[in-house]
Amino acid sequence: MSPVRPAPGGPAAWRPTTALGRALVVGALGVVGALLAGEPAVVVLAAPFVTLAALGVVHRPTHDPVLDSRLDHLTLREGVGTTSRLSLSDAEDAEYLVRVTGQPPYVVMRPSGGRVGRLLVDGGVPEVEISPRRWGRRMLGEEKVALYTPWAGYRFGPVGIGGQWTRVLPTTAPYDSRAEAPQPLGLVGAHRSRRTGNGTELAGIRPFQPGDRLRRVNWRVSLRTGDLHVVTTRAEEDTGVLLVLDALADHGASDGVDGAASSLDLGVRAAAAIAEHHVRRGDRVALRVVGRGHEQVGYGAGPRHLRRIQDRLATVRIGAAAEPDSGVLQLGVTGGAVVVVLSPMLAEPVATVAATLTRRGVAVLVVDTLPPDPRPDVPEDADATLAALAWRMRMVERSVVLDRLAALGCPVVAWRGPGTIDDVLRRLARRARLPRVVGR
Amino acid sequence: MSPLQGYGEPDDWARSQIALRVLVLVGPVVAVLAAGPAGHAPPWWLVGVVAALAGASAWVPDSPFGVAPFLVVLGWWAAALGDASSAWVLVAAAGLVVAHVAGAVASYGPATMPVDVATVRLWAGRGLLVLLTAPVAWAVTRLLGDQPEQPGVWVLGVAAACLATVVATAALGTREEER
Repeated sequence: MSPVRPAPGGPAAWRPTTALGRALVVGALGVVGALLAGEPAVVVLAAPFVTLAALGVVHRPTHDPVLDSRLDHLTLREGVGTTSRLSLSDAEDAEYLVRVTGQPPYVVMRPSGGRVGRLLVDGGVPEVEISPRRWGRRMLGEEKVALYTPWAGYRFGPVGIGGQWTRVLPTTAPYDSRAEAPQPLGLVGAHRSRRTGNGTELAGIRPFQPGDRLRRVNWRVSLRTGDLHVVTTRAEEDTGVLLVLDALADHGASDGVDGAASSLDLGVRAAAAIAEHHVRRGDRVALRVVGRGHEQVGYGAGPRHLRRIQDRLATVRIGAAAEPDSGVLQLGVTGGAVVVVLSPMLAEPVATVAATLTRRGVAVLVVDTLPPDPRPDVPEDADATLAALAWRMRMVERSVVLDRLAALGCPVVAWRGPGTIDDVLRRLARRARLPRVVGR
Repeated sequence: MSPLQGYGEPDDWARSQIALRVLVLVGPVVAVLAAGPAGHAPPWWLVGVVAALAGASAWVPDSPFGVAPFLVVLGWWAAALGDASSAWVLVAAAGLVVAHVAGAVASYGPATMPVDVATVRLWAGRGLLVLLTAPVAWAVTRLLGDQPEQPGVWVLGVAAACLATVVATAALGTREEER
């Protein structure tokens, strides 16, 4: 952030305070009036103000200070704080400093409200600790600063200092899953594949063939049968996980990381947790946000890729997206990928794409992110009874959609943290091993 | 969606600011009421006017109109009492100084910004120091009260007024004008 330098005629200049003006007026009028009218009582009343005015004027500033403010961190997680530090130079004339920090939504500060005034003793400038409570891009550290000379004679500012854009990443809720991927199809990973290969999971025992390694020979079976037999294992492969986040609307109240969570809060945090879990297991993870911003991250692995996903999640914008193909979502699902749809399931395109992919034999899992007691965002002038009725109808439609998805074989689970999708992933993995007919 | 209204956000005034603003309100009222024991009780409407002006000053301590209750108090003491023989003028001076100092500290920041103890202590000391000039002036006026009027007092008064004007101009003039 560039330092704020005084501009001629602007607010960044020393100006007399109203307190000095009051002392001058009362002192001068009192003394002059007393002398002219011969009223000594007024001299007694005015004498302290003459002193106050004189002391204020004596401390007239001679230097223009230069202000600069910086945040310690520009990337944060929800609930984690940073410090806004103000640096002053040429501020020898100042005795008192006031910082009034702007209060964007979902941000808490210490001192409370980001308003602090302190005496500048030994060059100590008060700091403001800022903590965003919700993911997203936030302008933090925007503030107004004022300086006062001793005896409050002159004031510098208030000077507006622009803040810095900060990326608030969604918090990674404690999440772990021991379930294997339904259709691993990759290179090296931690999931048991359907095909045989190098691994630890026993697949079977078969007669020896040229090329088999000797250490695979099962001597017990070979001695019993009289022919060489080898142990076969199932290959261990990585899998692709496509996270589809529904950002078409946000339902329910959001009170930050330690309060009530809206549907998008749940979706973003669940996506971050699932992505982190799979990236750490070596899987390839992709992200597709169905919303106004069309945020998308291709398949990839590793910590840097995880960071890209988290960055994209932090910039999710709510709103309807215009899909190119007459409203039909194109997710670009690759073979062997698991599709995790995080949605409150109130939008038709998302339900349609989940059903279509399930029919095609893709392992699709829907994580229901609708909060327990959602309330529709109704305009004040709308009929409350009508709105409640419309919301109930929408809930009925939603339950019908969920039932149809379940009938198609697409599991729907509510997000509840660790182990949320374990059971359904295991069932999907078992089902994937069975022969089935799929639509193309 | 609630943007965390009231989430650690002090929408209410800070207690220290309330205390300071109460002093801004009470100071001029005490100063004008102190004329009563001195033998010139103010009419109720005058007390009301002073209280209203002081209340406005307490609400917006950074307002230039904050000088109004001080001038009304000065005017009443000048019109009603004249001489400084009563020690109650010291009470009035204390009331005005307390109101001025409290207003100066309160105007440092918004009403929701608390004032720290060190600042309050510093300004309390300053207020007491400045207030010492009132008994000195009171003693001097009592000593000189019986003396015959000096022939050059009017010249001295005009010179003091000119000096005050020069000081005020030097103090209130902006530095851009100098450039």
